[in-house]
Amino acid sequence: MSGGSALLAAGEEVLQREGVYLDQQQWDEWIALFAPDCEYWVPTWTSDRTLATDPQRELSHIYYSNRQGLEDRIVRIRTGRSPASTPMPRTAHLVTAILALEPPTPQRLRLRSTWSCQVFFPRARENHTFFGYAHYELVLRDSRWTIQRKKVVLQNDYIPTMLDVYCI
Amino acid sequence: MDISQLRQYIDDRPEQGIFRVHRAAFSDPELFELEQRYIFDRTWQFLALDSEIAGPHDFVTASIGRTPVLVTRDAQGEVRAFANVCRHKGSVVCREERGNAKHHVCAYHGWAYDTSGRNVYIKDGKEGGYAAAFDAENHDLLPIARVGRYKGLIFGSLSPAVPALEAFLGELRFFIDLAMEQSPQGMEFVPGRATYTYRGNWKLQMDNGVDSYHLTSTHRSFLTVQERRRGGAEGNQEARQFDWSKRLSQDSGMFQFRHGHTVGWVNQAEVEKRPIYPRIGEIRERVGDLRADWMLKLRNIVLFPNIQIADSTSLILRTFRPLAADRTEMQARCLAPIGEPAEQRAWRLRQFEDFFNASGFATPDDTLVYEDCQAGYGAQPLEWLQGYYRGMTIVEPGASPLARSLGIEPVSSLQGSFKVQNEAVFHPLYREWARLIGCGLSGEEAYQ
Repeated sequence: MSGGSALLAAGEEVLQREGVYLDQQQWDEWIALFAPDCEYWVPTWTSDRTLATDPQRELSHIYYSNRQGLEDRIVRIRTGRSPASTPMPRTAHLVTAILALEPPTPQRLRLRSTWSCQVFFPRARENHTFFGYAHYELVLRDSRWTIQRKKVVLQNDYIPTMLDVYCI
Repeated sequence: MDISQLRQYIDDRPEQGIFRVHRAAFSDPELFELEQRYIFDRTWQFLALDSEIAGPHDFVTASIGRTPVLVTRDAQGEVRAFANVCRHKGSVVCREERGNAKHHVCAYHGWAYDTSGRNVYIKDGKEGGYAAAFDAENHDLLPIARVGRYKGLIFGSLSPAVPALEAFLGELRFFIDLAMEQSPQGMEFVPGRATYTYRGNWKLQMDNGVDSYHLTSTHRSFLTVQERRRGGAEGNQEARQFDWSKRLSQDSGMFQFRHGHTVGWVNQAEVEKRPIYPRIGEIRERVGDLRADWMLKLRNIVLFPNIQIADSTSLILRTFRPLAADRTEMQARCLAPIGEPAEQRAWRLRQFEDFFNASGFATPDDTLVYEDCQAGYGAQPLEWLQGYYRGMTIVEPGASPLARSLGIEPVSSLQGSFKVQNEAVFHPLYREWARLIGCGLSGEEAYQ
């Protein structure tokens, strides 16, 4: 395996683990994939054909400039007091088409993926599939690949009832 | 349905301390039709902001009930609204959400309309072998019967028999002004679409927009998240979210208005968390201290039937559209002062996303409980709901001293500690609901 493909494989593993941790509700493992100062962004569509480009000027579904906002989500789930998160929707993430957006380096990987997430809402006894693509920037921190930046594009943004970090 | 049957949905006897709504008001499919016909097709409905169609030939698409609507600014700068359907075969003409175009061309057979709605092109018309009867027909886009503007808000009504917009809004205008006068340049929507649906009746949203009683139960998990943020070191600090527990000891109240409108308000413990706070000096100078102080308070408006302007965190303009008796489409828009400095705009966005988004910390919990309510409305032994009683003994008919100090004449007022969490705020909604359906069923004019 060449250096480039070994790096790519290491990055792919992070992306796959992210989906697995969400599906298995391993929140601590999930949050640990992100750098404390990571940016997490799910832009809205500003029309049928245009996506928001600036989270400071346009509405986002979710925008955090660090990991604290993601931690809030876990706190909320763990209270057991959020009607939207109790019982927890069950999910299955499929993450594919992982490609490098720039040549991998030993310190930084920029990757894209195509994702789809089946969500089963136990209260409604119904399923919904959210899908889209994502851009990641991974950096090597303490010899571990960590998500420094993640941008999730939600392709089907007509949202049935709710959306949370585990649905995308 | 005949009019006597309306009493099976609303039991309104305030003199006996009774106000009840029957669960069937939320689930009866027959009512969906009546509501479309006698409420949504016969009231002023929000279409757009003036600032969305600032220039000639700008347009947005919207809907009134089941009618797709095209809103344009024509070449002369006049705001126009039409049923967005081609006269030829009824296809939706303009398929974009917004933009600028001198002509709107139907994708089906190519008929074209200008921004004043005039038909300017019938493809291969000369060769069409049309009879004189066809030529005698008007081929223009069908105008929405009434179009009105107030403080940058554009409304339309499918029925011509509505009061003038200002009269329809009535005394609620004081509270609309508080939302629409936050900048000398007017207000705009921050770009970004947030549309979601839920499996429940539209009136669940109508009520919840002014329901303060659910805060400490439905949103308990958010209160926990806020508690953790309070130290300043943990959680999403950028949202600068209000400490809701501070609201529980505040003075609060409601005003009921004519035509079904209603307002709930709470004193704001943390005025400095308002994104307009850094500009409050300019605002005070322009609108006066009284109005500026009220801009800082929490205010939730229901503009009957389906428009809510809420300023519980940052400003939201929310519209909801019934798709069926048990299904509703929500549009949440972030309303913001034009010319707002970049830092305050980002602050506003973080507050909005944190609270109002379908992907936020508050709205999903609301929406899920609506769905649980809808499921509960199938319960045969359940008749009258008991969720409309709180605060009934402290309702003051007419204008309270507070109302008079604001220069408004509500139908009734209520003021008390937040803990009242009054439900009398819902009464005008259901009174107007029953009145309009009643007028529809009896064939009476709804407005004099």
